[in-house]
Amino acid sequence: TRLADGTPRRSIQLSNIVEQRIFDNNEIISTPKRSRSKLADDADYTPKKSTHKSPGRPRRMSTTGTSTKQKEDAPMTPSQKMKKIRAGELSPSMEQRHQQLDVGHKSQLQLAREQLHVSVVPKSLPCREKEFDNIYSFLEGKIQDQCGGCMYVSGVPGTGKTATVTGVIRTLQRLVEQDKLPAFEFLEINGMRLTEPRQAYVQIYKQLTGKTVSWEHAHSLLEKRFTTPAPRRLTTVLLVDELDILCNRRQDVVYNLLDWPTKSAAHLVVVTIANTMDLPERLLMGKVTSRLGLTRLTFQPYTHKQLQEIVTARLAGSEAFKGEAVQLVARKVAAVSGDARRALDICRRATEIADTGSEPTANAATKCVTMLHVQQALGEMIASAKVQAIKNCSRMEQIFLQAVAAEVTRTGVEETMFHGVYTQIETIATFMGVALPAPGRALNICSKLGAERLIICEHSRNDLFQKILLNVSPDDIHYALRVEGN
Amino acid sequence: MPEAGQEVIKARRFLKDRLQRDYTTLRGYEAERSNVRQLLQRTAEMGESNSLLLIGPRGAGKTTLINSVLTDLLENNAFVDNTLIVHLDGNLHTDDRIALKSITVQMRLENAADGKVFGSFAENLAFLLQCLKAGDKKSKSVVFVLEEFDLFCAHHNQTLLYNLFDVSQSAQAPICVLGVTCRLDVIELLEKRVKSRFSHRQVFLFPSAHQFEEYAALFQELISIPSSKELKSNVDRIDSLELLKSEAFTFQRNHFDSVEYTFDKRFVDNWNKDISKLMKSPTVEKTLKMLYDFDVSQAFLKMFTFRLVAKIKREAPHITAELVAALATQYECDDKVDLLCGLSVLELCLIIAIKHHSTIYDRDPFNFEIVFGRFNKFAKVSSTMQGVERAIVLKAFEHLRIVELIMPLSNSGLGKVQKEFEMHKLALTYGQIQQAVQRYQALPTEVAQWAQSSLI
Repeated sequence: TRLADGTPRRSIQLSNIVEQRIFDNNEIISTPKRSRSKLADDADYTPKKSTHKSPGRPRRMSTTGTSTKQKEDAPMTPSQKMKKIRAGELSPSMEQRHQQLDVGHKSQLQLAREQLHVSVVPKSLPCREKEFDNIYSFLEGKIQDQCGGCMYVSGVPGTGKTATVTGVIRTLQRLVEQDKLPAFEFLEINGMRLTEPRQAYVQIYKQLTGKTVSWEHAHSLLEKRFTTPAPRRLTTVLLVDELDILCNRRQDVVYNLLDWPTKSAAHLVVVTIANTMDLPERLLMGKVTSRLGLTRLTFQPYTHKQLQEIVTARLAGSEAFKGEAVQLVARKVAAVSGDARRALDICRRATEIADTGSEPTANAATKCVTMLHVQQALGEMIASAKVQAIKNCSRMEQIFLQAVAAEVTRTGVEETMFHGVYTQIETIATFMGVALPAPGRALNICSKLGAERLIICEHSRNDLFQKILLNVSPDDIHYALRVEGN
Repeated sequence: MPEAGQEVIKARRFLKDRLQRDYTTLRGYEAERSNVRQLLQRTAEMGESNSLLLIGPRGAGKTTLINSVLTDLLENNAFVDNTLIVHLDGNLHTDDRIALKSITVQMRLENAADGKVFGSFAENLAFLLQCLKAGDKKSKSVVFVLEEFDLFCAHHNQTLLYNLFDVSQSAQAPICVLGVTCRLDVIELLEKRVKSRFSHRQVFLFPSAHQFEEYAALFQELISIPSSKELKSNVDRIDSLELLKSEAFTFQRNHFDSVEYTFDKRFVDNWNKDISKLMKSPTVEKTLKMLYDFDVSQAFLKMFTFRLVAKIKREAPHITAELVAALATQYECDDKVDLLCGLSVLELCLIIAIKHHSTIYDRDPFNFEIVFGRFNKFAKVSSTMQGVERAIVLKAFEHLRIVELIMPLSNSGLGKVQKEFEMHKLALTYGQIQQAVQRYQALPTEVAQWAQSSLI
C-alpha cells in the first residue's frame, strides 16, 4: 500500500506549491500542469492525504515566496531552463575562479610565452597586407554598393585566413562607428562546429535573433528574410569557415548559402573559407560553383622570412629570444608546412625549456632562449620516436621486428605471413642463443607491436595466417639495434 | 604458531592490495612527469591553454602518470579551486554525442541536471561552445583527459577534437587537452586542420629496456614490505587525498590504503631478509631475465608478482626460488601443445595425417576426404585403429575445427560446399605437433612411429 501511496502524495505536495505560487505570487509555472490535472483525477485521495501531510505544509510555505527576491532565485526545473536557453534568455557561463590570476610580476620569458600563444591575435597580421587589402576592397565595395556577392578564400591550415578576414571585418566595423561606411551585420559560422550541415541554418538564425529553433523552421525564416524585399535592410556579411564540411551529397545547404546573395532583396555578402584551392571544381556541383563565382583568393604558406617576421612581431622588442633561434624555427617550420601555429608553438615550448633548463645557473632576468633550447624543442615537436620505441622494446620484440624485416627481404614482398615470420624467429633465436618463444607468445608480441603501430597486423584469430606489414622502415630497425649493440 | 600464520596472511593481503589498487604510485619517468605537471600547473595558475599527447606502449604507466600528477596537484588548493577535470575514454565514449553529454555533465553546465542532459546533440555542442567562448581568464580552467585518444580520431569529422583543440588555440576559457594513447603514429590520424590546431607536444613513455637491474629492483620492491615509517607516510598521503573527496576521481574511493596494515618489526625484518636472499639466487635471476626478455613493462611484472604472491600460504610462508621458477615455466609453455595433448588418439591421428599432407604438398589446403583417405591408409594396417567408422572420424574432424586447430579457408564458408569437401588449413607448426606426439600420455607406438614418417 505504501508503494501505491507514492504518486498521489507527491502530486499533492506539488499542488500545494503550485497553488501557493500561482495565487500568491502570480508566477507562471509551466511544468506542474500535469500534476494539477492529476489532482483532479485523484480527488478522492485528497482528504486522507492532506490531513496526513499537513505538518509539511507550513514548512513549505515558509521557504518559498516570502520575499520577491527569493522568487527570482527560485530554482527552475531543467525543462524551464532549457526553454530559456532556447529563447536565448539565459546566457551560457563558465564557473568562475576562486582566486584571480596574479597579474603581478612576470619574468621576460613568461611575457614572451604569453605573447607567443596562438590565441593572442595581433591587431594587424604581418605579411598578409596584400590579402588584407584584397578582402577589404571586396567587402567595402559590396557594402558601399549594397549588393550581394561571394568570395572564396583558400589555403593550407595556419596561414592566417580566418584571422585576416575577421581583421578586415573589425576594421570595417570601426569605420561604421565613425560613420564612414553604411552599417552592416556580421554573421559567422564554422562547418566543424556543426553536427550536420543543416544546423548552419540554426546557427545563422541564432546569430540574428538569439533564438534556437529547428532547422526546418530556421530555414523557412531565413528564406523569408532574404527573398522578400524590405526597406532599410542592412547589408549582411556572412563568414562561412570550413566550407567543405557543409558539402553533403545533395549540397542543398551550400546551394542555399550561395543562392541567397543572388537575390536582389538579400543584400548578403558571403565569404567562404576552405583549405583546398580547387574545392569548387572538385566537390561542388556545377550550379553551386557557378554561384560561388570567380572572386577567389589563395593564401600561400608562409616562407621562412615571413615566419621569422611573425615571431619577431609577437615578441615586440623583447630580448627573450636570440635572433638566430627564431631563424632556426622559421626555417625548420617553413620547410615542412609553413604553418604559423606550428612556429609559435615551437617557440613557446622553447621558452618553457629555457625556463626550466637554466634555472639553477642564471638569474631570472637574464634568461634567454638560445639555439640549444630551440633545437631541443624542435627535437620534441617534430619528433619521430620510432627509433626510440624500437630501442626500448624487449629482446623478444626486437627479435620479432628483425624477423619481419628478414622475411620481407627474403620474399621480396611487403606483406608477410605470421607463419613465415615465425620461421625467421626460430632462425634468429637459435643464432642468438635465446630461448624460442612458443607461437602463442609470439602472437602476443605481435599484437603488442601492432597496438604500438610498429607493425600493422590483423586480428590474431587468424593465427598463423595473419598478415603482417612493417610500419617502420627496415633501416630504422637496423639502425636502432645496431647502435644499441655497440 | 598461529601468530606467525596470521602475520603471513596479512602480508599476503598487503602485497596483493598494493599490486592491484595502488593507482597513483609511479616509478621512474622523472622528466616526463615534471613536464606534464608543469603544463597542468600553468594551465591552472596562469590560465594558459595547452594540448599534449602522452604516447607509450601498453602497460607503460601512462594512466598512472596522469593519476599521480593529478593527485600531486590536488593537494594544492589553488589547483583544486580553479580547475575542473573532465575524464573521457574512447572505449566508453564511442561517439561525439555520448562524449559531449559526458562533458556537459562533468562540467556541470546549465543544461545538465543531475546527470541528465537536455537538448539534442547539436544544441549540446552549440551550448558547450558558447560556454567556453563566454569564458576568459577569469573562468576556471578545464582539464580534458582523453584516454584511448586514437579512438576519438575515428569519430565523424573529428568534430570534438577540432573544437577542443580550437578552443585551446583561441582566446576563450583556458583548457588543457591531454590525450593518452598507445599508438605512435596517432598524429597521422588527425585531419589536417585538427593537426594544425594541435600544439605538437608529445610526451613519450617508454619503459627503460636497458637496465635489467632496475627491473630486478622493482621486483624486489614489489614483494618486500616497507618499514613502518614508510607505511605512515603513505597513509598520510592517501588521507590527504581522501580529504578532498573530489568526485572526479573514482579511483580514490577504492584506493590502496596502508592504514589497515601494521606489521611486527621482527617479521618485517625477517621477511625482507628472506627477499634479499632470494634475489641473490641464480634461479630467480634467470627467471626474471626470461620475463624481462619477453616483456619489459611494469604491468607484466606486476601480473607475475601477483600470481607469485597468491601462492603464499600459511603452510608455506616463504617465497622461494623454486616457486618463482615453477611459475615462470607456465609462461614458457605452449598452450596449443597442451590442447593437443588433451585430444583423443583418433583426433591426434587426424592431425598427424594433416601434417603429412602439409609436408608433402607444402601446406596446401585440405578437406575431410583427403585427410580421411590418408588416415584410412594408416588405419587399415594398424592394429588399434581398424574399424573406426567414417562418421566418427568426421565427428573428430569437426571437433578439431571448433577448437580452431584447423581453420576454414574463407570465413564466409560460401554455404554451398558440403562439410566433407570444405577446404581447411592447419593452424599449427610442425614443431608443435612433434612436441605433442612426444608428450602425449600412453600414445600407441604405431601412431608415434607413423608420426615420424608418412610411409606405411
